[in-house]
Amino acid sequence: MFEGMKSSSLLDRDPRLVDIMCSLDNAGKMPTGVASEIREAVALARRFNEAVARPYALELDRKMSEDPTYIPWDLVKEINRWGFYTAWIPKIFGGKGWNLGSITPVVEELCSVCAGIGNLIGVQYFGLSILFAGWNMRITDKVCREVVEGERSGEPCLVAGLVTEPGAGTDAEEVELLSKAKVRCHARRVEGGYVVNGTKVFISNGHVSTWHMLIAYEDLERPEETMILFAVKNGTKGFSFGRMEKKMGQKGCPASEMIFQDCFIPDEDVCISASQMKGLKRGAKGTGMQLIDFVVSLTRPGVGAMGAGVARGAYETALRFARETLVDGKPLVNHEWAQCLLAEMYANAALARLTYMECNHVNGLYGMASLLNMKPMYYYMRAVPTAVLDRFMPAVNAADATTRIFRKLVMDGQTEEEARRASGWASLSKFAATDLGIKNCQLAVEFMGRAGIRHDGWAEKFLRDSKLLQIYEGTNQLNRLNLFKCMIAPWVPEAQVFEE
Amino acid sequence: MKADVSEELRMLDGMARDFAARELVEEREEHDRYPFAPLYDDVLAKSLEVGFFSIMLPEDAGGSAEPVTALCLVLDELCRADASLGGAVFTQALAQEILRLAGAEELLAREAEGDGDLAQALIAFPSYDNPSEAGNCARASRGEKGYELSGEVEYVVLGGLAAHALLPARVEGMEGFAFFLVDTGHEGFTASEPVLSLGMHACPAVDLTLSGVPARLVGEERKGGQYFEAAVDRLSVAAAAVATGIMKGSFTDALEYCRQRKQGGRHIIEWSEVRMLLSSMAVSCKVADMLVECAARAVDRGEPGWELASRAAALQAQSLAPEVTSNGIQLLGGYGYMKDYGQEKRFRDAKQAQPLLGITPLRRLKYIRSIIDGEAAW
Ligand SMILES: Cc1cc2nc3c(=O)[nH]c(=O)nc-3n(C[C@H](O)[C@H](O)[C@H](O)COP(=O)(O)OP(=O)(O)OC[C@H]3O[C@@H](n4cnc5c(N)ncnc54)[C@H](O)[C@@H]3O)c2cc1C
Repeated sequence: MFEGMKSSSLLDRDPRLVDIMCSLDNAGKMPTGVASEIREAVALARRFNEAVARPYALELDRKMSEDPTYIPWDLVKEINRWGFYTAWIPKIFGGKGWNLGSITPVVEELCSVCAGIGNLIGVQYFGLSILFAGWNMRITDKVCREVVEGERSGEPCLVAGLVTEPGAGTDAEEVELLSKAKVRCHARRVEGGYVVNGTKVFISNGHVSTWHMLIAYEDLERPEETMILFAVKNGTKGFSFGRMEKKMGQKGCPASEMIFQDCFIPDEDVCISASQMKGLKRGAKGTGMQLIDFVVSLTRPGVGAMGAGVARGAYETALRFARETLVDGKPLVNHEWAQCLLAEMYANAALARLTYMECNHVNGLYGMASLLNMKPMYYYMRAVPTAVLDRFMPAVNAADATTRIFRKLVMDGQTEEEARRASGWASLSKFAATDLGIKNCQLAVEFMGRAGIRHDGWAEKFLRDSKLLQIYEGTNQLNRLNLFKCMIAPWVPEAQVFEE
Repeated sequence: MKADVSEELRMLDGMARDFAARELVEEREEHDRYPFAPLYDDVLAKSLEVGFFSIMLPEDAGGSAEPVTALCLVLDELCRADASLGGAVFTQALAQEILRLAGAEELLAREAEGDGDLAQALIAFPSYDNPSEAGNCARASRGEKGYELSGEVEYVVLGGLAAHALLPARVEGMEGFAFFLVDTGHEGFTASEPVLSLGMHACPAVDLTLSGVPARLVGEERKGGQYFEAAVDRLSVAAAAVATGIMKGSFTDALEYCRQRKQGGRHIIEWSEVRMLLSSMAVSCKVADMLVECAARAVDRGEPGWELASRAAALQAQSLAPEVTSNGIQLLGGYGYMKDYGQEKRFRDAKQAQPLLGITPLRRLKYIRSIIDGEAAW
């Protein structure tokens, strides 16, 4: 007994074991079915890569270089047919309800062939995460069921996330910075809804999406206190698409400017407003940060998985080259220095993978969908046919009480510790795995010489694609600072972040 | 790089800077769209006119017979603005150097006679290869009328533009390889479409297929490797200048952007982490600049160990440039990733410039081999 107390107090010392080894806590709690789900999901991604991505990736990249205004509708429709756009939508909203733990390995797999196509799929879950994070069950139900219908009808219904503004990129990712930011996307209260004015930029999948999860602010002088989340559908008066960016890489995934001019959005499409946030435990500012954290805790490990994917793709490309190329009459793969280099690249890919796998454990315990990971819930959800849920869930989700209960349960139920652990690890995976990813791409190009810089050699495309990973979902600098804020500062009373 | 140069070189440097500002900056994005937009023939023609393609060429061959320092100064200035032109100037200088080393002065002279004709003046050359390592050689056979080349040579820079190509080929029944000069207009000479590449789009390369193309031997049959290595000794420092120019351009634009851009209620240049990135870029630029200056001087004066100085400068500057230009994108955030700013191009160009003269790790091994074998004093 005494012994036990002693070790627990030892383990509670900084660095606390629960902070640095979440996998230890989660491993025993994880339903065993998750592993087989991951295997099946990765197998599907491999089939998709062979059938669709690998034969098309270079051609698409070339086509976009030639005509940067080309919109890859055919590819979006093909992905829609493969079921990727609804796979991770929970069954209570009509989706396939695959376990969230399988999304990152699938993203790695996709990006090991083409990060642009990987993003065309992955960004759907960035948009959806923002939708989920407001915990407005009625709107979530409505939008998700349209996505599912889009899969059935063959007319893809994608969801984009609109956060970044021309003057606020890093600032829009962190409420402490938001308070000093120059945001311009304004929502003015009017009878029956809001009128929105402003511009969003760099929005992935913008031009190919149907629903747009828009973050705006009711008071531009106090954005951190007045954040508001809307769901805006194509065709809404006052909403239009602007330019499509000409990017260095990930060309298959459009990045769009989105323009709101006196755009009226009715109350029924407000996912969560500052006044609703005020009624929650953390108040408006704290809940705003929680909303951002809910999203990025899921999506930053997703970008980490993209980092692992390009790291692996670059490694596999280099290995192929090493086997095909003779130097001094001997295959390169049999030169000792090349073996060490390939080992280094293998390790980089593996390390990147470990970071997002740890995040899966963290999210399994503390993320916004952790409820779905509890064994009884998990097995019930796997067993129950969607058709059965479809009979009553839309009505349940539409009830205001459902939203209230879930917000109490999930938003107020999450402790600060849980939130910072999920967010801190997500940042770790995001910057560490993407740094490793780009490193492998650099190594592959260097290793292959002339073959590495040719478009038909693949390595140069991996390099161009990979650089974006260090920028979106918060630059790697912002993510380092967020790791400091979440995992280090709590134990350093004198620490001030974003205050320098 | 300019601390210790003559008045004449200072003027050349100023001329290159003005040229870059006038001809390269404004249309950079459009020029880089090649092969999906026309090639900037006018800029290439003007470059020929002002002498960029004959800086080190001997005077009796119509060149300026300048030292390698001059070439480095020009490449640095051009590559700050747009490394594509730098790639073309470098390739041309390398081909000329091989001809000069092989004692093929008469071929050089013929080439300079083109007087103002761009295609006649340019020599296509596979400047990304060490032919003895990469095996990227044609086959040469000797017939009644002289040599003929057949086979394939990949990634020949300026291959679609130049009227002549300097190509490595294995001579039947002989070790090693020899260099040959061929006319690209011959019917047995087929060039692919420009090879889509990572960077320096306006310095295009093509894959060649040759079938019985008449060729003139350059120097001696067995000595291709020797000429090539000697040219690499002299021109590695010029490859370092290409990388250095790209880095400097990236740093200049990043610094300027950080002074303008605000996040978190202040100019981002006020965040100390931003300064760390800028500092790392600035230090690399300075180091590369000192390397090029020092190595170019060593080459020009024939100081002991100049060969290794030149090669080390290239390996080091070429490995700094990808990191520097990556930070150059990073500091512009999402904007850095877009074609509208020069930074993404510099990132691509820096990596494109790395394998000039051959695969980097193999050049590293070659470097240490020459020390181990006692060929060079380190
Ligand atoms: C292709 C692409 C797709 C994208 N997709 C989406 C999307 O779907 N939805 C969306 O909302 N956004 C998207 N983004 C936007 C992306 O999240 C932002 O680009 C990113 O957050 C950086 O913002 P910024 O570009 O404004 O750079 P800035 O914030 O201006 O940053 C410039 C530089 O300053 C540094 N910096 C800024 N503040 C600080 C600080 N406090 N301390 C230290 N350094 C600092 C940054 O690290 C960076 O190096 C996308 C961007 C791109 C390029």
